[in-house]
Amino acid sequence: MVLPLRNKAETSRAYWAFVTPAFVLYLLVFAFPIVLSVVLSLSNYNGGKMFGGEPWTIVGFQQFEKLAGDPNFWLALKNNLYIVLISVFGQIPLGFLLAYLIYRKIVKWGEGWQAILYIPAIISVIVLGIMWKLVFASNGLLADMMNGMETNAFTAALNHVLAGGFNVTDDFVRQLVSIADPKALQTFANPIPDLKDLILTGGYDAAHLDIFRHDMVNLLAPKWTPDFLSQQDVAMIPIMFVTLWCWTGMYLILFHANMQKIDSQIIEAARIDGATEFQVMKNIIVPNLSGVIANAAILCIAGSLNTFALIWAMTEGGPMNVTQVLAIYMYQNAFIGAPNFPLANAVSLSIVAFSFVLIGVTLFIERKMGGKVE
Amino acid sequence: MKRLTLILALVALVAAGAMAADKTTLKFLYYIDATQAGYAEDQAMWQKFQAANPDIDLQIEILFSQAYHQKLSAYISAGQVPDVVYMWPTSRDSSALLHDQRLVADLRQVLPADFLKNFSAQALDVTQQTDKRLAELPQSFTFTTTVYANVGLLKSLGLKVPKTYADLKAMVPKLKAKGIQTLALPDGDKWPAQSCLFSTISGRLAGDEFIDAVKAGKAKFTDKAFVDALAFYSKLYADGVIDKADVSMGYGDGPGLFASGKAAFIVDGDWRVGAYVTDKSTGKALIDPAKQASDFELINFPAIPGEKNHNSASAIAGVGLGINKDLTGAKLEAAKKLLMFYYGKEFQTMKWETGAFVPTRTDLTPKGLEPLMVKLPLYYKTVAKTTYVLDGALDPTVFNPLNDGLQGIGLGTQTPAQVADIMQKAQDAVLAKK
Repeated sequence: MVLPLRNKAETSRAYWAFVTPAFVLYLLVFAFPIVLSVVLSLSNYNGGKMFGGEPWTIVGFQQFEKLAGDPNFWLALKNNLYIVLISVFGQIPLGFLLAYLIYRKIVKWGEGWQAILYIPAIISVIVLGIMWKLVFASNGLLADMMNGMETNAFTAALNHVLAGGFNVTDDFVRQLVSIADPKALQTFANPIPDLKDLILTGGYDAAHLDIFRHDMVNLLAPKWTPDFLSQQDVAMIPIMFVTLWCWTGMYLILFHANMQKIDSQIIEAARIDGATEFQVMKNIIVPNLSGVIANAAILCIAGSLNTFALIWAMTEGGPMNVTQVLAIYMYQNAFIGAPNFPLANAVSLSIVAFSFVLIGVTLFIERKMGGKVE
Repeated sequence: MKRLTLILALVALVAAGAMAADKTTLKFLYYIDATQAGYAEDQAMWQKFQAANPDIDLQIEILFSQAYHQKLSAYISAGQVPDVVYMWPTSRDSSALLHDQRLVADLRQVLPADFLKNFSAQALDVTQQTDKRLAELPQSFTFTTTVYANVGLLKSLGLKVPKTYADLKAMVPKLKAKGIQTLALPDGDKWPAQSCLFSTISGRLAGDEFIDAVKAGKAKFTDKAFVDALAFYSKLYADGVIDKADVSMGYGDGPGLFASGKAAFIVDGDWRVGAYVTDKSTGKALIDPAKQASDFELINFPAIPGEKNHNSASAIAGVGLGINKDLTGAKLEAAKKLLMFYYGKEFQTMKWETGAFVPTRTDLTPKGLEPLMVKLPLYYKTVAKTTYVLDGALDPTVFNPLNDGLQGIGLGTQTPAQVADIMQKAQDAVLAKK
């Protein structure tokens, strides 16, 4: 038999008895680190024992000022916003569309497609990062493919020159120079005499044209290098592509699961009334899933601002910091080079602040559009 | 019977507890590449130390490269500096905090003078260390610029070891025609270009006195001498001596590329010899000892047009072990014992013989050194003068932008003047703090 609590005070004591342990644990695990992070960001603490070691004091907003004046911070923030954009406006719409195609059985083998698209989400992002790094590396798969095409085109042009015979005259060398990549000719001070000299002293002869062809391809053919990966903004494209490829499957599963909760009779009725698939999606599915979409957007934003492992594995934020995001910027300030813990904490608080702003904007838009977060 | 068993078990438990209590626990954060030759021999030595010192419970944690620096930074930020720690003499990564906050003891006050007299003057020169104390005992004197030359490959193409930069540049087309890179410089990790090549270029064209003047506010990185050094570095890429693709190549990829004959030269630190010699635990070597003798040489970077310090190379006191400054009593004695074991004849001879480094301990007689290890001291003798390694001479807030800038120059996204300007702004901030 359960005895009723006798008065309000006893109810209150019972309440606190149950809540206090969990609340204390919460304070220790969540609240304390956040408060400590705020304190450290305002301090000149530089490692070592916090109490009893080198003295440290609160120095105000110096680190935040330093952040505001550091172009690398703004570059990292911009790169983070690219990730947010591709996540919110790439992963979510694409995941939604794919889920709809599968849900409405517009494509065959829906279960199979779900599995295929979800696979990247269950593989370690480090493994995925290394794999894609090998694809985009300067001597990687992409470069090999592009150089294969460049080599074929150059070899065809070279064969045309050789069709006139292998006579190392000025005219012959001039023809080689005319088909050569201008960048490749930069290794010569005087291309025509220097190249002629190299051919004459290189032991080449008409009987071994394959060796000559091989060497001229190495020397004069255009070389494709993924230079765009060192340019600001453009360098983020492969990362955005991999981000899209990696996580779209997760949102597909999320949306597909929620679509299955919608009463199929409503959709059937709409179809009988003559609604097209697009109208069904726009007027029935999207409104029903508006809360899920808003939640997915919040997850996307939070995840995008925290993104680290995939980019670290692919580029480590380089070259020259052009693919750096806030989490990598924070990590580099905390653990690499000359560690600056207050600055690193200031960066982490900035990430939290930007997350709140972007999530606030998402919720505002969602409410304006009449949906509600579930 | 049951009661007797229980009593015996309790007695055994208490005895074990008492024995454990007698042991001195020593936490040691150690740095070694587990894939490099000599790793198995190194581990065997630590087992030997443990067996010879049953009163010490040696808790050794092994990490390598950035993972090491990250862990040590985390330990330092948590106020848990290991009892014995592997560290750099300068402000390199995690070692900056050890020096700045004097978290390690001055070994001149810890190790007996009789023991220290076995080491070279360079090792005991405290001006080589950031905090001007013997924070760690340098196990070697490191030449950060060492050009590894595949002379066998050069000979097969009718080429000779270059004496001047013009010689080096002249061989680019011939090597390129055969699909061979001229000078490999894997700079994906950012520091190699600065540490292994640019420091020597700066030493040759600007000199240590210029760097000292900049640090004193009497010269600027934007002055002609330093911008010329950066411009020469830029020329290496424009002339095709270094391949642009090297900017994003991982440091660890260099030895394989060079050993397989895909580059005629590689510029690296002297420590990298260990990557090419035979790993006794597997019997395998990246470069066979016979080939090391016949086909490979260690040389200095060729003469640079306009250089004022001829045949100089960047060098610095090497890494070593330091002791937590807070250790006292039995722990301090145990730590001293560990250091004297590590810097002892047996351990240091093993390090030399396995190709790890040429020790600063002067009373060693190694046996069976592989040809590249024999060639290393011969290379040191050819160097006319040593100059600063810039990450050992400059503040991290200044050399980090240089590391980034050298990548930018290689990729063609930054000019020498821009890099010099960024460095000077960072140096101005350092001077303003003072």
